[in-house]
Amino acid sequence: MALLEMRGIRKHFGGVEALKGVDFSLEPGEVHALVGENGAGKSTLMKVLSGVFSPDGGQMLLEGKPLRLRSVAEGQQAGIVMVYQELNLVPDLSVAENLFLGRLPRVMRYPRLNREARALLAQMGLELPPGAPVRQLSTGEQQLVAVARAFAQRAKVMVFDEPTATLSALEVEQLFRLIRRLRTEGVGVVYISHRLEEIFLLADRVTVLRDGERVASTPLSELTPERVVNLMVGREVRAYQRQPHCLGAELGCFEVEARGLAQLELSLKQGEIVGLAGVIGSGRSEVLRAMFGLAGAASWRGSRLDGPLEALRQGIFYIPADRKTQGLVLELSARENVALSVLPRLQRLGVMDRRKERQLVEGWFGRLAVRPPDPERPARTFSGGNQQKLVLAKGLATTPQVLLMEEPSRGVDVATRYELYALLDELARGGLALVVSSSDTEELSGLCDRVLVFRGGRVVAQLEAPLDREEVVAHVTGARQVA
Amino acid sequence: MLPGRVKWRELLSRYGIVLAFLVLALALSLLSPSFLTPSNLINVLRQIAVNALLAFGMTVVILGAGIDLSVGSILAFTGAVAAGIAVAGWPPALAMLAALALGALIGLFNGVFVAYARIAPFIATLGALTIFRGATLVYTDGRPITGLPEAFNVIGNGIWLGIPVPVWIMLAFLALTHCLLRYTALGRAIYAVGGNEEAARLSGISVSRVKLFQYAYSGLACALGALVLSGRLNSAQPTAGAGFELDAIAAVVVGGTSLFGGRGGVIGTFLGALIIGVLNNGMNLLNVSAFYQQIVKGGVILAALLIDRLVSTRKE
Repeated sequence: MALLEMRGIRKHFGGVEALKGVDFSLEPGEVHALVGENGAGKSTLMKVLSGVFSPDGGQMLLEGKPLRLRSVAEGQQAGIVMVYQELNLVPDLSVAENLFLGRLPRVMRYPRLNREARALLAQMGLELPPGAPVRQLSTGEQQLVAVARAFAQRAKVMVFDEPTATLSALEVEQLFRLIRRLRTEGVGVVYISHRLEEIFLLADRVTVLRDGERVASTPLSELTPERVVNLMVGREVRAYQRQPHCLGAELGCFEVEARGLAQLELSLKQGEIVGLAGVIGSGRSEVLRAMFGLAGAASWRGSRLDGPLEALRQGIFYIPADRKTQGLVLELSARENVALSVLPRLQRLGVMDRRKERQLVEGWFGRLAVRPPDPERPARTFSGGNQQKLVLAKGLATTPQVLLMEEPSRGVDVATRYELYALLDELARGGLALVVSSSDTEELSGLCDRVLVFRGGRVVAQLEAPLDREEVVAHVTGARQVA
Repeated sequence: MLPGRVKWRELLSRYGIVLAFLVLALALSLLSPSFLTPSNLINVLRQIAVNALLAFGMTVVILGAGIDLSVGSILAFTGAVAAGIAVAGWPPALAMLAALALGALIGLFNGVFVAYARIAPFIATLGALTIFRGATLVYTDGRPITGLPEAFNVIGNGIWLGIPVPVWIMLAFLALTHCLLRYTALGRAIYAVGGNEEAARLSGISVSRVKLFQYAYSGLACALGALVLSGRLNSAQPTAGAGFELDAIAAVVVGGTSLFGGRGGVIGTFLGALIIGVLNNGMNLLNVSAFYQQIVKGGVILAALLIDRLVSTRKE
């Protein structure tokens, strides 16, 4: 009997079907890898499993008994635990206290607590000091504590979602040892990762999702990395493809240095769209942030970028991934948000020139076709795609030469996404250079003239248009290295 | 979609404070015949002037997601210095200007700790609260400074066009602060920093400089309050302004400005100060014991915040 059985799981958000009747099963003592591109439905499926979302259809069985979860707490009670990158540990409590958190005795007797903790850690093959505050441990060690805690709470199913993104090589090895230990203890492990070499080291079985459907569920021994990439990408028609065009004159060169990154030089031409590809933690986001003076040390055309102000003065603008926490002041109106980047230009003796401001904002509203076309509405009332247009308008208002974008289409619906790509293409044709960092390989291969692939803080491949998406995916996942 | 209802809520959240004020005033005018007389109303305005001045400065700080606990101490210190140098023979106008500059400078000192040393505003200004209370005691040797020139008396007790000078000062500073927040680029930057500091920074706003300004402005407001207060009392008291920070914060939050920053305005703060002032005045007229007055005042503050919370959570 399978430990866990998910049958015909459906879930939709608004009009979008995220899961179209997915089957998934897990045996006790099995490491089952779940792979797929961003938006394939991996996270949604796991959120259904852990009780974050309730499914619109289908059923789940745990040890043969029907499972209906109304909350994450109920999921944990049933023995289903997610190990996230943000760990629910209390940094100032000791390892032992964290291990038994929620089940601590009323009166603490530390010798006994530490003894029990040591026994548990030994069982898991871990050598961690039970009395040390968790704060003093490395990220990887903290993750091991979180896993040990879940095991102590008799977890039957443990889900690892990109657990190695922030770990060092040594820590990854420790984690893998622990996962293999969990396997011998009869725990069912679901392992989500974009890094194929990890999956080929660890998994017993691989399930591939694409567009909310299961396209394969196969023992690892019957797969090759190429085959997995093939299954992930499918044979669909390419969604957006930029028309070929000529690049303009050389614009300048970025030199980037940051912690954990290999030194990088990136020269840009007018009209060029350069993509930065790589999994989370590969260094592509750090490079992009450095180019706006937000991290590390970077220079553009030989002059240092010490902060956003300096970068703006040099004609660079950065559009962050998260519009709600970084891009917009949600309580302010759309007009006020768009004008934020050009306040000095819209004032005379400190007083805002309202007419000039309105003209500017209405101009961008028209040009970017923001809907609804009402600049006075608070920014928070716009849809994801239109919020992105607001951030874009704010950036373009500064008349930049270089536009840096992090995950430009995250949370943007499909229709607006096309519009956005067409817009970026138009901007590039107008002479703007764009650097786009994205986890969406379809986006990168459709949009870019050139893609730099990052792994472990360095550029491991540089691909030129015409881009082949399977090629990009193969480099990002490391299938090229495994093969 | 219920457009009618949504509109109601919007109105309530925007003008609820006006409504609360009108209800309160109506109730008091029914309960006490002497409430709704011109002389009493002017009296209320004069009584709230100092608190309102501090609260206007506090609004600028809180809108930028900060807080200034040192306002009472800055008021005491700048008041003492103004009185001290005026008594020592400085021309009164110069003494007053020096006090205003000193207030702004002390605010700047707060701002440096918050913006550059990245110390939490609560802690930084708590430090300043103690430092400048102590500095006031040192400067005055713990004794009131009396015998101020006539100019101070005019500021505190003068009357122009039938309206007390402190009320004119309050209204002028209200207008100034309102225009600053509504019509200048700096005001816009303050809202942006309070609403989402990261977004403001990525938009090229110099967040540190905005914060410096906020605290300097609050310091200036304190010095202005100090001139009014010492004029009223015709002396500078070493213990002046103790606990004023709480009244100022109360006026700001009752006036609908979010303690998390980015939302609110100084007109609301004026109404908040007015509500607290009217409440005090009404309870005095009704002979409510001073002990009970504190309980009622605290209850009103909590009620105002509770209503704000209910209205804004239902909006989502």
